[in-house]
Amino acid sequence: MNYKRFIYYQGTIGMASSMIFPFYILLIKNVGNSYAQFGWAYGLFALTAALCYPLIGKYADHVGDKTLLAVYSWGMAILLLFFPLASEVWHVYILQVFMGMLGAVQKNSEKTVLARYVTKEIAGTQIGRYHVWTSVATAVAVIATGYLIDFLTIASIFYVASLVFAWSGMLLLKLNMPEPQQ
Amino acid sequence: MKTAWMVLLYLFIFGLSLYFYSTQLNGPTADLHQRLLPVEIKTIKAGMSEDELQKIVEDAKQGGDTLSIAGMQHSQGGQTVYPDGIMIDMKPYNQIIEVNEEKKTVMVQSGATWANIQEAINPYGLSLKVSQSQNIFTIGGSLSVNAHGLDIRNGSLADTVVSMRLMNADGEILQLSPQENTELFYAALGGYGLFGIILDVTLQLTDDELYETDTARMTYSDYPSYFKQHVQKNPDAKMHLARISIAPESFMKDMYAITYKTASDQGQLSAYQELKTENLVAVPKFFLGLSRINEAGKDSFWNAQKTYTKQIDGNLVSRNNVMRSDSEFMEYDNSRKTEILQEYFVPVDQFEDYIPEMKAVLEAHPDFNLLNVTIRYVEQNEKAVLSYAKEDMFSLVLLVNQGTDAESIEKTQQVVREMIDVTLAHNGSYYLPYFGYPTKAQMQAAYPKTEEFFELKDRLDPEHRFMNLFYEEYRP
Ligand SMILES: Cc1cc2nc3c(=O)[nH]c(=O)nc-3n(C[C@H](O)[C@H](O)[C@H](O)COP(=O)(O)OP(=O)(O)OC[C@H]3O[C@@H](n4cnc5c(N)ncnc54)[C@H](O)[C@@H]3O)c2cc1C
Repeated sequence: MNYKRFIYYQGTIGMASSMIFPFYILLIKNVGNSYAQFGWAYGLFALTAALCYPLIGKYADHVGDKTLLAVYSWGMAILLLFFPLASEVWHVYILQVFMGMLGAVQKNSEKTVLARYVTKEIAGTQIGRYHVWTSVATAVAVIATGYLIDFLTIASIFYVASLVFAWSGMLLLKLNMPEPQQ
Repeated sequence: MKTAWMVLLYLFIFGLSLYFYSTQLNGPTADLHQRLLPVEIKTIKAGMSEDELQKIVEDAKQGGDTLSIAGMQHSQGGQTVYPDGIMIDMKPYNQIIEVNEEKKTVMVQSGATWANIQEAINPYGLSLKVSQSQNIFTIGGSLSVNAHGLDIRNGSLADTVVSMRLMNADGEILQLSPQENTELFYAALGGYGLFGIILDVTLQLTDDELYETDTARMTYSDYPSYFKQHVQKNPDAKMHLARISIAPESFMKDMYAITYKTASDQGQLSAYQELKTENLVAVPKFFLGLSRINEAGKDSFWNAQKTYTKQIDGNLVSRNNVMRSDSEFMEYDNSRKTEILQEYFVPVDQFEDYIPEMKAVLEAHPDFNLLNVTIRYVEQNEKAVLSYAKEDMFSLVLLVNQGTDAESIEKTQQVVREMIDVTLAHNGSYYLPYFGYPTKAQMQAAYPKTEEFFELKDRLDPEHRFMNLFYEEYRP
């Protein structure tokens, strides 16, 4: 069923993004060195997201959820390839701006997809189940990465996560979604 | 199809990213010696108090973690790091505990820098006996490499240590001195942080003094006799350095020497005693910048150095101020970016034969970008297990501008190994705090007690609690 595929997709990207997030902080720590810089990095992320939501909201109804999810998956896959190269605080700032944009795309699409496909009467059960599986995937990823990092460098985590995002992009192909209504 | 293009584009960027990442790792960009050595450091703990340090060592023991010790981290061969280990940052451990005016001693915590000590002892008219030419290094880091500098009368840095306390791999604190725990004392001096954490140190001081600067020019073949006649035999000569030309016009031939001699009128000392701060580094920096670019730049750098040296002839300067050299500070400033250091020791009597052979090696590698060669004197001293001064030696410090890609690193390595072979053939040795270009065999030839050193390490710290990349690379 389509809905199952969507959960599978969300689980995959959940895994990929939770793989990097705990270690992402380590990267910023290596590159930046003050709390103010931390603050800026995360602030920029949230700020760009805020600026993007209205735009994305409009687009979602025009181009369709699937396209936006594809933008997110491939966007993240490519963006993560730049993280290992970051060596200056401003590199991180720029990456954070892009992360903010893509993050907004994902958050919005996740919700629109749910809104469009969930049956109103059993919405609670359906969304609950959706969260179970995506959370399990996230938990597994974080724990597994903790072990993995003992063998790999931080940089390689970004490469692995990037590959997982690319894989999620391929998953989208199999996801059938109705064309957007004009 | 769209997706196929997407996948192709993705793979292309993936490849590019990997490529840049791996060249960045091999190639020094921001911090040469650190970048050359891809290691991760799990935690950095500032060692503030003895109890905290003890706890770090005990926790590491329990958790089976490896510790490496770091001062200012100016060593360039991974002496302060170990993959997946815990690096102890000693910098916050930097109190000046006591200045004893009568005994002329100072007791300091090992994270203090020479600059910190100078500020504390200068008001008492006291001065360090031995330190590097610059004052930016920590006491712990300097003792652990058994550093040397411009002073020619006070023996080695090890000789100036009255006593020190060291925390070993079990977290025990031991008192070390030439009378107590001597084996460990002479292993830890020049021990590269492998025998434990040096906690505090009592150093013998001397009086601050007013010096008159005496400069001279000569060719390399006259230098050893000049040194013996005018420096070594002159009881007034206290500190000394020289430079040999790297400019094409006078390559490895022209030299100038600077000697600091006790001034006849010490009454003027107080007028010169104020510690000077950095002045006008921009000018030498500019010339050094030129010399990095091309041959003409090297000629003008050398000419500027000669002119400058001539100008300072006769200048009066306090001992403490000589020991906080600024012209060399600028050398460091650059060495952090794309420049590396090498240092070779050659017996005084071999110098005349040695220089032409070094010249031949350098001329055979025109791409090797040598920027400066400073020459100093170290007296024979074999107390430290890893002692580089097997006889009375001249030391040559080479400042090299190096490319950042794997190929340039390979090239530098080749030239370095050739130069060390020449040095060894003249009964010389080389200095260990720099990048791991030399081979294991070269280390064993330069340091006959290499094996003893590593055996001692394995005996005193069998669990290898204290480790660094230097051990990893050079353990026979
Ligand atoms: C520009 C430049 C100029 C230099 N000039 C000279 C010179 O004139 N003469 C000279 O002799 N050398 C010179 N050196 C080499 C320098 O003396 C050494 O690299 C020295 O170790 C640097 O001190 P640090 O505080 O940076 O030590 P670090 O590099 O931090 O540490 C050096 C070693 O000491 C160990 N260590 C540090 N603190 C402790 C401690 N508290 N207890 C136990 N082990 C410890 C570390 O584990 C490491 O093995 C120069 C280096 C540079 C980069």
